[in-house]
Amino acid sequence: MRREKEKKSRLFKWAAICFAVVFSFFLADFLMGEPRVPERAVGSIPFDHALHGDSIGLDCAACHTGSRASANAFMPSKADCMDCHRLPLTENPGIETLDSVLAKADDRPWSHKRHLPDHVVFHHGVHAAAGVACADCHGRGYMQNRYGAELFNMQSCLKCHRGETFKEKGFKPAATYCAACHR
Amino acid sequence: MGMDRREFIKSCSLVAVMGLLFGCRKIPLEELAGDLPSLKRFEDEVKLALSQAKKSLDLVKIPTPGALKIPGASTLNRFGMAIDLDSCDGCGKCILACNLENNVPLVPNEDAARGRFMHWVDMRGSAPFMCAHCGNAPCERVCPTGAANHTPDGLSAMMYKRCTGSRFCGANCPVQARKFNFNDAQKLGLARQFNREVPLRDKGVMEKCSLCLHRLQNDRLKFKTSLTVGETAEEWRGRGVKTACAEACPKNAIIFGNWLDEKSPLVKLTKNRVLYAPRELADLDPSVVFMRGRR
Ligand code: SF4
Ligand code: SF4
Repeated sequence: MRREKEKKSRLFKWAAICFAVVFSFFLADFLMGEPRVPERAVGSIPFDHALHGDSIGLDCAACHTGSRASANAFMPSKADCMDCHRLPLTENPGIETLDSVLAKADDRPWSHKRHLPDHVVFHHGVHAAAGVACADCHGRGYMQNRYGAELFNMQSCLKCHRGETFKEKGFKPAATYCAACHR
Repeated sequence: MGMDRREFIKSCSLVAVMGLLFGCRKIPLEELAGDLPSLKRFEDEVKLALSQAKKSLDLVKIPTPGALKIPGASTLNRFGMAIDLDSCDGCGKCILACNLENNVPLVPNEDAARGRFMHWVDMRGSAPFMCAHCGNAPCERVCPTGAANHTPDGLSAMMYKRCTGSRFCGANCPVQARKFNFNDAQKLGLARQFNREVPLRDKGVMEKCSLCLHRLQNDRLKFKTSLTVGETAEEWRGRGVKTACAEACPKNAIIFGNWLDEKSPLVKLTKNRVLYAPRELADLDPSVVFMRGRR
């Protein structure tokens, strides 16, 4: 009887150790591993570009913080939203719904995976510095992605770099050799 | 129940210690999962390559490289390197650094035994040798798709996605600086992306030293977006950029710089030295040269 009990306890000890090992792996991965980025979590917050941008004098870079100086334009975090939305901003009845959704939203409600393959170099900041406005590529009236994803190809880049499009804007012709944008 | 309080506390602390140890590990999770080659294999491959060094190059004296003589060449920048044969002791750290920087894949054992590595840097004799980025590059002239081409600032660049694998360029390089992907390194588990800045190459694509093109590109973009008043983008001279091999050299025997920039370490440190190039490349206006002795 005693021996059986001892056996059982030893078995239990091993089970506990196994559990400990597996658990520690998962714990470490949870703590140290890279978080999985959702492709695009749209819809959690009812966002409308038309109510933000020009209409209230807001620059794209206010939310897409990298668009003027970095390679990536970046999507805003919830903190960026809250910078303004901490206060009730309008009389609009929708604002209450928004507040409750915002309160529940993730810290990073939006994420955007670049469609750019890794042999292509594209730098938002360089284009902004050259005087290209966001709307030149992304469209006015906030029809997003005029040049995004499948609508965009190397020809669109090259045409502008050669000075064929946007003549009225008087951009300086830009580099067209392969290694300017490819690696 | 067999577990008393003591036992329970023991296993709790075990969990904590294991988690801590696991968290402090150096190896990324993917490597533990076994589908990526370990860093050790890359190190071992370099050691193997060093143990079977190829015969030394036949060096001849050359003048200091000047501006490129190709249409559209920049008058401000011509990047290149000088390898100081008086300082280099052939340790091979540049090879490993380059492999890790540029995600150069391993080769299968049969290839390794025959000395067919993908390394962009070879030991010829006891000195490192990589593509010389010839100003008048014979390899580029025979590329049927234009994948091998020159940048205005002196890099012989490879556009991997344009390469169809004719291997004409490899045949036309007099010093075999080009390496061809005969194997699908990614499928064979021989490739690993240490550096996110550099794409992995597919099977059937030619590759070679890029003069760390991505570092120059990134520096140029950084320069253009951080202009101080009075500077214009044309004035980018690539100052402050170092290639991975130059950075890794403990003897500072690899000097990277801009042949046309008086302030560049390359110009300063080659000033009183005698420059050499492999005999086969001497007439091709190489940008990467050797130096030895004092004038
Ligand atoms: S060393 Fe060879 S691969 Fe490099 S540019 Fe000259 S000919 Fe081409
Ligand atoms: S310059 Fe860059 S790519 Fe060329 S050998 Fe050195 S580390 Fe490799």
